[in-house]
Amino acid sequence: MLRPWPSSGAVRFLYRVNRPFLARPHNTRIPAATRGLQSAPTDRVPLRKQLKQEAKALKAQKKLRKENEETSRQEWELTVGVEIHAQLDTHAKLFSRAPTSTTDTPNSNVALFDLAFPGSQPEFQAATLLPALRAAIALNCQIQPVSRFDRKHYFYQDQPAGYQITQYYEPFARNGYVDLFEYDGIAPEDGDRVRVDIKQVQLEQDTAKSQEYPPSTQLLDFNRVSHPLIEVITMPQIHTPATAAACVRKLQAILQACGAVTTGMELGGLRADVNVSIRRRGEGPGQCQYDGISGLGQRTEIKNLSSFKAVEDAIVAEKNRQIAVLESGGVIEGETRGWTIGSTETRKLRGKEGAVDYRYMPDPDIPPLVIGADLISRLEESLPASPDSLVVQLMGPQYHLSVEDARPLIELDNGARLEYYQDVVDILRSLHPDQDPSTHAALTRMAGNWVLHELGGLLTKADRAWDDKVVPAQALADLIDHLQQKRITGPTAKQVLAAVFDGDRRPVPQLLKEDNLLLRPLLREEYLALAEAAIAQNPQMVDQIRRKNQLGKMGWFVGQMMRTGEKGRVEAPKAEEILRELILGRQ
Amino acid sequence: MSLLREAERCLANQNAHVLNAFITPLPRAGQWLDRVREADRRSEQGKPISAVDGRLISIKDNICTRDLPTTCASGILDKFTSPFNATVVDQLEAAGAVIAGKTNLDEFGMGSHSVYSRFGAVKNSRRDGDGQDLSAGGSSGGSAVAVAANQCYAALGTDTGGSVRLPAAYTGTVGFKPSYGLLSRWGVVAYANSLDTVGILGRDTSSVRDVFSILNQHDARDPTNVSSFSRSRILSHLQTPQLAARLTSSPLRIGVPLEYNIKELTPSVRRAWLLSLAHLQEQGHTIHPVSLPTTKHALSAYYVLAPAEASSNLAKYDGVRYGTRAEGPDSDGQPDGYLYASTRGNGFGAEVQRRILLGTFSLSADAMDNYFIQAQRVRRLVQQDFNAVFTATHPLAAADAPETARSGTADVDVIVCPTAPSPPPRLSDVSADSSPLDAYVNDVFTVPASLAGLPAISVPVTVAESEQNPHAAEVAGIQVIGQYGDDELVMKVGELLEGKGLDG
Repeated sequence: MLRPWPSSGAVRFLYRVNRPFLARPHNTRIPAATRGLQSAPTDRVPLRKQLKQEAKALKAQKKLRKENEETSRQEWELTVGVEIHAQLDTHAKLFSRAPTSTTDTPNSNVALFDLAFPGSQPEFQAATLLPALRAAIALNCQIQPVSRFDRKHYFYQDQPAGYQITQYYEPFARNGYVDLFEYDGIAPEDGDRVRVDIKQVQLEQDTAKSQEYPPSTQLLDFNRVSHPLIEVITMPQIHTPATAAACVRKLQAILQACGAVTTGMELGGLRADVNVSIRRRGEGPGQCQYDGISGLGQRTEIKNLSSFKAVEDAIVAEKNRQIAVLESGGVIEGETRGWTIGSTETRKLRGKEGAVDYRYMPDPDIPPLVIGADLISRLEESLPASPDSLVVQLMGPQYHLSVEDARPLIELDNGARLEYYQDVVDILRSLHPDQDPSTHAALTRMAGNWVLHELGGLLTKADRAWDDKVVPAQALADLIDHLQQKRITGPTAKQVLAAVFDGDRRPVPQLLKEDNLLLRPLLREEYLALAEAAIAQNPQMVDQIRRKNQLGKMGWFVGQMMRTGEKGRVEAPKAEEILRELILGRQ
Repeated sequence: MSLLREAERCLANQNAHVLNAFITPLPRAGQWLDRVREADRRSEQGKPISAVDGRLISIKDNICTRDLPTTCASGILDKFTSPFNATVVDQLEAAGAVIAGKTNLDEFGMGSHSVYSRFGAVKNSRRDGDGQDLSAGGSSGGSAVAVAANQCYAALGTDTGGSVRLPAAYTGTVGFKPSYGLLSRWGVVAYANSLDTVGILGRDTSSVRDVFSILNQHDARDPTNVSSFSRSRILSHLQTPQLAARLTSSPLRIGVPLEYNIKELTPSVRRAWLLSLAHLQEQGHTIHPVSLPTTKHALSAYYVLAPAEASSNLAKYDGVRYGTRAEGPDSDGQPDGYLYASTRGNGFGAEVQRRILLGTFSLSADAMDNYFIQAQRVRRLVQQDFNAVFTATHPLAAADAPETARSGTADVDVIVCPTAPSPPPRLSDVSADSSPLDAYVNDVFTVPASLAGLPAISVPVTVAESEQNPHAAEVAGIQVIGQYGDDELVMKVGELLEGKGLDG
């Protein structure tokens, strides 16, 4: 029986081919989804035992791999260069007035030129230059007063004109750099800072989005065609996989911080290619030269990496493949390779002989791009603070945060989380303008914890995107203030946060009052009564504490008092104090 | 004669002839009749919208029209109708003109005899002494023949390397290629963007001038169109007393490029050239030999550059979004196969395929430096050659550009030379399967002005019978080339020669 495909109930082999940026005329299909369900094994092993064994094996494997990596690192020098492509945050496409969009109805935002209609011509949208320039400035590049557009030719159905318009011969920005620090996650052997030079930044068009319905149907959405991209090309100056991943992560953070791009890798707004070569240490320099850096080994390119982990894993795999080839007497071919997430090996996409000759030609319809110094200095002045300077600021005397809290605040939600955090701290500061420095430090750290972990936890649990109005900054500040003043207990604070999160819009002071949540401290007599009741329930344990000094068991009694006492009124430290007095007879 | 009668006569001529000038002729009935009647009323009231109000103007079929198909004479677009009008079409309609149909051409403008058409070759309305069919010239052969055979009042063509001037010379009409960038290319299907210009064909220079004045406007949709600011710069440059005087009183200095006196020049064409120069001299103008030394490389440079751009421009035709797809699965139905192989193989004709391959080669990594880059250098030298002989400087040259070495002997106002080295060849000698190189030679005199973006016009002159040709008077095309922006001057000199019966 023939069924219309895809039919409901049938296994859907629908998958997206994510090839948003580059020429990939051959063999780039992701293999069909692996089967999800497997039949249960016949030998029953207790789950707990199985998990334990697996964890142990994994640990051993990791250790072995680490040792192997270190051995090979001592013998072989790895060299990596990175290219990233990022979708710019612009209203219009690069060469037409059609709006950019990611969620609109397919093929609804398409101008004649986007579809390469005969007789249509490009219309450069000057405003797309602004985010591109912000990116180049944030990457410390020299902006070129004159740059030009070229056509890069290849046939693919997601490329309507048969060429992509890019800046091959004369890009708009050159000679920048990005600094990577320890906290960016560089490899320990790279020390505490690595500077990676940026060769150039160029403007170019995105392609259409394809959806494949094997075996023979492809749908094309031209909304994405000509969405402005920048391509950032680093020099081959990275020598460890972890640092390469850190470089991509850092580039993304910088591009997001300066407002150049909309989304990161996780949403497909950014893609990375890496080039990888190795050279045996202690031998003469390699025969190859790339971007003016000579003495390197023959390199290969791995295209279209879509996560930071993929960047690191693919480089490790490719490095090990090259080592194996050379150690067995082989030769590395200059070729283009691909990487599938979860794989352990890169795979060949096309070799040298299959290399595409892009036949770069200056676009005869597009005039040179002339960028004035006044525009550059204006943008330099209005550029937001860089992630690095934000880290310094957050760890400094103003906020006292740890690097572990500072970085997520900067990276999360495109800076919105940081802004919210700073609002909360500002309110707290205005409530108590003349705090001593140590109280202030405690307060700013507490605020960091609540913004990231307590509020973050609620968001994760509810699977909601960031929204600074869910819990207004004022509400969180009030809550933290009450907690710090010991006017509510920790559990109460969490309970109130959840209530506000779920939509309770009463001001926090009012809410605490009306719901009777403010801490009314128990009298000493009340504590004594609670403690005695608990002790009476379990005299053996008291005995154990007294004779064997098993102080850990004290906690059980504290818990017992919290449970039996009036909700939100028993303070754990005070309860323990009373218990010690009663059980151990001292204060 | 009323505009309606004139239009009806054109329509009758379109139907009577078997010249294959049109791919899509004017329908017998239609809204256009009302538009011509309205124009007649305006004319009676003495209030025509423009000089072409109610006139039929043919459009070469590589210029987009919303109401009629735009095939580019190609199999790949043989059923294509554009969703929009080219700016030049909108401008003509706004001026009251009526589109007289879409004219036949060499596929995508690539050819010199209008024989490489999916819809068959165009025939010249003239025949040779033995009654044999002659080439109409190309690639705007259909537009030229439609004008010559009174099938319309005037016509638009496109001129990339001579595609308006050559058919004008072969058909005895006036063909004008304006300075590059003056007429909008929005909606003109690109062959070689850096050379493509819309050109105008008419029975006399005055009708060509009328059409030109309507189209000579800035259009923001064409990024290569000269901006309003540059237009006013050109205008004020031309209004300096020395340059302004050329259009009114003072005798002109006419340049004769020595390098154009090539051995391929047929005696009749050489005679027409000499008699034209003599005629101008009689009228008080002076003749000066000039040297354009790069001319001998210009043709080669053109046949590198134009195919290179063509190979890029024509990459879009894959039958995916519009156009005609090949029957059945493309590229043997292989899952990883290209979606365009059979479509492009079937859709494009031989000459287009040849130029795509040529261009693909000259842009390839190994050939780029020796072909494309060298040809661009030659192109620059060709421009410098012209700048060196014209009195007028290039109005848009950068202020800090080095002054080109003047030839010393001559500072001329215009250059006068033949349009083509020979009279129209027989169609049977230039059929689609004869050597393409022979056809390329016909562009030798027209290509230099295209490479330099200069205005050039071809006007017909008649040379009385001679010893070589005792039986009939010969019509030949004489070309006038001017400095960039000197479009009016070029038309004025063309008018001095146009239609003259010259007798040695």
